[in-house]
Amino acid sequence: MTAPERELPFYQPVGDECELFEAAWRQQLPVLIKGPTGCGKTRFVAHMAARLNLPLITVSCHDDLTAADLVGRHLIGDGATYWVDGPLTRAVREGGICYLDEVVEARKDTTVVLHPVTDDRRVLPIERTGETLIAPKNFMLVVSYNPGYQHVLKSLKPSTRQRFVALAFDFPRPEVETAVLKQESGLDDARIAQLVTLAGQLRRLAGYDLEEGVSTRLLVYAAKLMAAGMAPRRACRTALVEPLSDDTDTVAALAAIVDAQFAA
Amino acid sequence: MNAYPVHPDAAVPLAAMETLLPVLFRALGGDPALKLKPAGGHGAHAWQDEATLYLPESIALFDTAELNRRLYLWLAALSAEPVDETLDWLNRNRVAAAACLARQPGLAAEYRSLVEAFLALRPEPDSLPDEQRLAELAVRAALTDPAREQPASANLAGLAPVPLWLHPNPPRPQAKPDAGANKQAGSAAPTETPDNGPRAKQGDKQAGEEKKVALTDFKFEAKPRWEDYLSDHRDNQGGGEGGQGDEEKGPRATGAIDGDDAPPATSGMTYGFAWHTENDDTPLGPGIKLPEWDCRKNALVPDYCLLKPMLPAGASRQPLPDRLKSLARHIQRQFQALTPERSRKSGEFNGPDIDLDRVIRFFVERHSGHAIGEPGLYQAWPQKERSLACLLLADLSLSTENRLPSGHKIIDVIRDSLALFAEALTASGDRFGLYGFSSIQRDEVRFLVLKDFSERYDDETRGRVLALRPGYYTRMGAAIRQASAVIAEQPAERRLLLIVSDGKPSDLDHYDGRYAVEDTRESVREARALGVTPFCVTVDQEASAYLPHIFGSNGFVVVQQAETLPQVLTRLYAQMTR
Repeated sequence: MTAPERELPFYQPVGDECELFEAAWRQQLPVLIKGPTGCGKTRFVAHMAARLNLPLITVSCHDDLTAADLVGRHLIGDGATYWVDGPLTRAVREGGICYLDEVVEARKDTTVVLHPVTDDRRVLPIERTGETLIAPKNFMLVVSYNPGYQHVLKSLKPSTRQRFVALAFDFPRPEVETAVLKQESGLDDARIAQLVTLAGQLRRLAGYDLEEGVSTRLLVYAAKLMAAGMAPRRACRTALVEPLSDDTDTVAALAAIVDAQFAA
Repeated sequence: MNAYPVHPDAAVPLAAMETLLPVLFRALGGDPALKLKPAGGHGAHAWQDEATLYLPESIALFDTAELNRRLYLWLAALSAEPVDETLDWLNRNRVAAAACLARQPGLAAEYRSLVEAFLALRPEPDSLPDEQRLAELAVRAALTDPAREQPASANLAGLAPVPLWLHPNPPRPQAKPDAGANKQAGSAAPTETPDNGPRAKQGDKQAGEEKKVALTDFKFEAKPRWEDYLSDHRDNQGGGEGGQGDEEKGPRATGAIDGDDAPPATSGMTYGFAWHTENDDTPLGPGIKLPEWDCRKNALVPDYCLLKPMLPAGASRQPLPDRLKSLARHIQRQFQALTPERSRKSGEFNGPDIDLDRVIRFFVERHSGHAIGEPGLYQAWPQKERSLACLLLADLSLSTENRLPSGHKIIDVIRDSLALFAEALTASGDRFGLYGFSSIQRDEVRFLVLKDFSERYDDETRGRVLALRPGYYTRMGAAIRQASAVIAEQPAERRLLLIVSDGKPSDLDHYDGRYAVEDTRESVREARALGVTPFCVTVDQEASAYLPHIFGSNGFVVVQQAETLPQVLTRLYAQMTR
């Protein structure tokens, strides 16, 4: 029985990242993706999983995520305990891509369980059950994080980093971003061009007035709101300006930049 | 000078727009390194030079504040456009305005309303003599429809000024030989303007060229000397490091870093200056010997520097100054909200999670008949102190005596920043220490202890912060080594070493240029090896030329407006530690 044909999630390649990812998969190498928030890391992984016809198990890491959350734990039922696989164990058992999003957010001890599956042993020892799983050929570990200066205290340990091949993502070039907005929102070309110009202007402020540049994701939101009939200034205020800053002065300045692009 | 009526009731001061306009200017393509300053004595015009964007101090041209506000927005947007210097003044502005409107369609309606209101203020063309009438018509056409081409011939002399355009002959240090077009444009421009800027042209040009020295050149640069500061720092309004051009005068003993000879043994020499006045800071103990990285030998030279921990002189117990109180309260509230890290505690009698391991053991024991009362079967997440220590190390070199465009001295801003930072960290409960440093050659690296980790932040330690004065030079490597050693001893999971700086590392001797940068880079590497995360916050706008090499591209930020350093510093800390 074959799995039903999955719809391929849209992803607009910026360079040869799809080929690189595929090569890494064929060679059974784990992949690290770094890039600013909302630039398409998660979408890229979803796209590649569908393209390679692999199951995708995504874990959004947070600071309470423990090794047990990844590997699995015992549960109680009817006077007995039984073992439940965590997402990483499931992926190793069944094959597929295990994607740890924002891996630096996880507690430090968590990343250590990744070590044996990311080197040439490709095994996952499970302490609590005494098992040692050998990863099948089609298992792949992918992690991502955002290397901005805000996260200097939370970077990956070199011993963890050096187990991955790494792809650096950034916000797409204007023509690529135009294609993304068009595909995702169906907005007219003229206003998409204006949004892309505006994005370039807002990104010039990253590091000075803004923590980070505006993400492609937010641009898609703005384009969707505009495509649904919302006035451009209002859509940009809601989807771009307010999410970018809480500082009143900065919000006023961003609104002025939006107003310079979109007429009332 | 101004041919137009003034509407004081509707006046909009630059101060009301000073947070908004620079952001707009940068976003639309303006040079992010430029500072915004009011243009004094140049009518209502905008212009820019190497370091500054000048906008009118106040706009009262129109009878509504909204229109005056729009004129500010328009001038900021227009200033962000690249200007074609080969064109005459009218076409330069016309082309820039057309490009600006094409890229920012949202401005079109506001621009039209501005032009409409503005043309109503200008003299009727028919009321003018023939030649001026044609020129006036050309100006009106260029304003109304900037996209329409115009001949370059119009002689605009004698016409009323056009505050919607950029300065016709800005006091720019451009002594280019091909300034013909410029000159012509200037002479053909309205009568009010041509005069020299507030800054000497030649000096500006030098400063600009000096600044363009890239790190990779590793050029041996002249540095400001103590006596220069003594004589002229009070006049130094420019805000930059006055570091050029005085190589030849004065007794300087510097070793060229690319020469073969060893560093000159300048230790102990005092050049006849009274370094140690009666009011000097109080040394604590005999000092600490520290190594220094010699990039020519590619080796660490042991015991090369003598670092002297000191207490600032003239410190007395001080409460928080009134001017900082409201900001401090605001920041304290934010910092109290920083949630401490939690840690799991097993075997609790109540708690949000079941402790599975204990439950299983309990079941097993009950099955086997050894039930042991009611054990703790829960896990709790009691709040723990955030396991974080931060050491703030402030550069107290002489250059902090320089004034910012706003008239504040950098040292004042640093002092306020330290004071507010300490209030914030006291609220958060994180362990922290405050230190400052400056140096006079390798045997006098002054390491000011403002608040040691073991001390409370109270009136005593606050008094030391408020008594801070600029010191001497910037031997950053030694200071970072000592600061790393201090923070590495703190029991914490994460250790942050925040360095607040206003310029490149340098000292009186050979500690300069590449040597100083490489030593500092090595000290940062050593800090990381000790488990310390170094991070630099600088107000030096040229810092991108050398800081990436020292701290890595994610290891520093440049604060655009030094005046905002107190807020930026606490915000950065909150961002980095959350």
